[in-house]
Amino acid sequence: MPQLVHKPKRKALLIAAGALGLVAFGALSGAIILLSGAYSTAATTQHFKVTHQVLDAGLRLSVRASARHVRAPDLDRPGMLARGVACFRTHCVQCHGAPGVAPIPAARGMLPIASNLTQTAREWPPEWLYYVTRKGVRMTGMPAWEMRIDEDDLWATVSFLTRLPVLTREQYRRLATRAEDLTCRTPTGVPFEGSREYAKVIFRQYACHSCHRIEGVVGPRAHIGPSLLEWSRRKFVAGVLPNDERNLIRFIRDPERVKPGSLMPRLEVTEAHAREMARYLLDEGAR
Amino acid sequence: MSLRALIAAATLVLTARQSSSDVPHRITGDVQRGQQTIVRLECGVCHVIPGIPGARGRVGPSLAAYRRNVYIAGRYPNLPEVLVRFVRDAPSLAPDTAMPSIAMSEREARDIAAYLYSLE
Amino acid sequence: MSEMRLPSALHAAPGSGAELLSELGLVLYCGAGIIFIVVVALALHATFAKPSPAGTRAWIVGGGIVFPLLTLFLLLNYTLAVGSAVAALESGTALQLLLDCFGIDAQKRIPPPSPGTMRVHVIGKQWWWEVRYEIVRGDTSTAVLANELHLPVGEPVELLLTTTDVIHSFWVPSLAGKVDMIPGRTNRLILRANTPGLYRGQCAEYCGGQHALMALYVKSQPRREFETWLQRQARSVTRPDDAFLLAGYEAFFKGTCPDCHTVRGTPATGKSGPDLTHVGSRYSLAAGTLRNHVGTMAGWIAGAQDIKPGNAMPDSEIYTGRELRALAAWLGSLE
Repeated sequence: MPQLVHKPKRKALLIAAGALGLVAFGALSGAIILLSGAYSTAATTQHFKVTHQVLDAGLRLSVRASARHVRAPDLDRPGMLARGVACFRTHCVQCHGAPGVAPIPAARGMLPIASNLTQTAREWPPEWLYYVTRKGVRMTGMPAWEMRIDEDDLWATVSFLTRLPVLTREQYRRLATRAEDLTCRTPTGVPFEGSREYAKVIFRQYACHSCHRIEGVVGPRAHIGPSLLEWSRRKFVAGVLPNDERNLIRFIRDPERVKPGSLMPRLEVTEAHAREMARYLLDEGAR
Repeated sequence: MSLRALIAAATLVLTARQSSSDVPHRITGDVQRGQQTIVRLECGVCHVIPGIPGARGRVGPSLAAYRRNVYIAGRYPNLPEVLVRFVRDAPSLAPDTAMPSIAMSEREARDIAAYLYSLE
Repeated sequence: MSEMRLPSALHAAPGSGAELLSELGLVLYCGAGIIFIVVVALALHATFAKPSPAGTRAWIVGGGIVFPLLTLFLLLNYTLAVGSAVAALESGTALQLLLDCFGIDAQKRIPPPSPGTMRVHVIGKQWWWEVRYEIVRGDTSTAVLANELHLPVGEPVELLLTTTDVIHSFWVPSLAGKVDMIPGRTNRLILRANTPGLYRGQCAEYCGGQHALMALYVKSQPRREFETWLQRQARSVTRPDDAFLLAGYEAFFKGTCPDCHTVRGTPATGKSGPDLTHVGSRYSLAAGTLRNHVGTMAGWIAGAQDIKPGNAMPDSEIYTGRELRALAAWLGSLE
């Protein structure tokens, strides 16, 4: 009965060949689209519907998985709502809009468009909102806020978001006016102090890599500011001060003061963040 | 010529020429002579410079891929005329800099600038 | 500083000990070459020619005993003659050369210099040379400098060579043979350059990580020029008037520089590093490592450990950019 043994073997071979062929075809067509430049990166070209649905579902699933350990505190504590409004009007409304308030013009042209939070807040639990606000969303315009809004105010923002869906235009206006004097607080400390991994996050969160090349930070090959590779071996900060931790912190926090006319802008880097950056740069030898 | 006028003039020339990526680096200097001058003046004591033996100084910034640098001394646009002046007399552009003014002729400075602009 | 034009180290200066040594070398190499060719030819002959017993004994006695004995005898006499000539040129008597060979107490044996012979102490250090001129025309003041030696043309100068750390060897190939610098001992070398010029010397005994970067310059110049130079080197310096140079002067004392360096005429009296009183006049920095100009000076102060890792000079870590520039300018102004 040799044929009976022979047949399934041939079938398996055919399937394997077919699968391989498909993979090769996929890779080839991907390469052709990429190399020919046919794929449009224009923000005016919209996604296919299915692409959008897949990405949206992917985001939801990823946030659900990532936020599973997040536990929301009591969101109704006194004062929380007002601070949440303050943060929202300082940082969020520009792109997301609010009841009766349109996003600013620049935000209207983004792809993907910033989601309307009235709907998101109805559908997502507070933990997810917190996670997305804190960590941001890759390849969208949503930045991470953990370097700019402190932990309490992040939750205050979430507390406000949970109420967003039930606000009328008039109620939102009144809340926003009342919060005009409040400021959204920035974090003062650093989680994971001394962690080289977290220092890389800090660099990226201050956009350092848009001008500098930094060990371990993936980004453009920027030639705007000097390369910071092998920084610990350099003798001067900005060509002006001896290269040590104190001077480095000074320059990072206030470049203009150390070197008048410097094109490096003031980035409102907190003392704690500047220290983490300086230590990371000066400690390269210890890697 | 004052620096402001210098930069203004250079910028005018650039905008008038509809900048192709090469325009900012057009300079009348000799790359090879520039290389020799850099060796002779031992610029490598303070700078890492590709193509110059032993140039691995860390006092100043690395000059690798200098052509791509956008700014000089973190203050001025990287334009030929500015660079020529900077390599000869850095303190006149950046009073606090550690880089001294180095005795060299205008032509040597042009050659050095040409060499630096040859570093991709 | 003007361009340095150095003769090749392979080129011995005329009338110097180096010329005799180079001649000796030539004779030995050529002789050895001829003998080698003859031996190879004989070996080939023995391999390929028909064996014949005739004359075997004559070949063995002639080629194996008489020829080497004769050759070695002649060569020994020749080298001894050259040695005497070099010694006579350098230190007056052939006997001293022999004494040197047997290591007879050098300290006690060194007589006062014969009248008219100038004495210069050269002290090897890791990794540079201290040079002290003992007598300035009857005056007892000393001129101390580093990594540089000036000689009046055509006159013998007596070098007293020693070291404060490990063994070094003083070697200016164009002028003379090597003389070791040994801790606790003073060796002597009479150096004479018959033509004006600039010669390069090099430590010729491995002395640690930066041995390769331990060079020096020897400048021979007409007597009058030499004396002007020496008087200048013996002078002290004064506090600068210029505001920028003064900033450099102050930077020098703000740092740890005076702990190791002397600048005569200022409170800086450190002994472990080179005397900087006239550092601006020198051909090189860091013992022949760098040309001497304001840029290399600044670079050396800020990055000495990058340039010559392990040397005793630390990277300065306290100066602002402007201070460093001023310091380099002040040091450069000390000519």
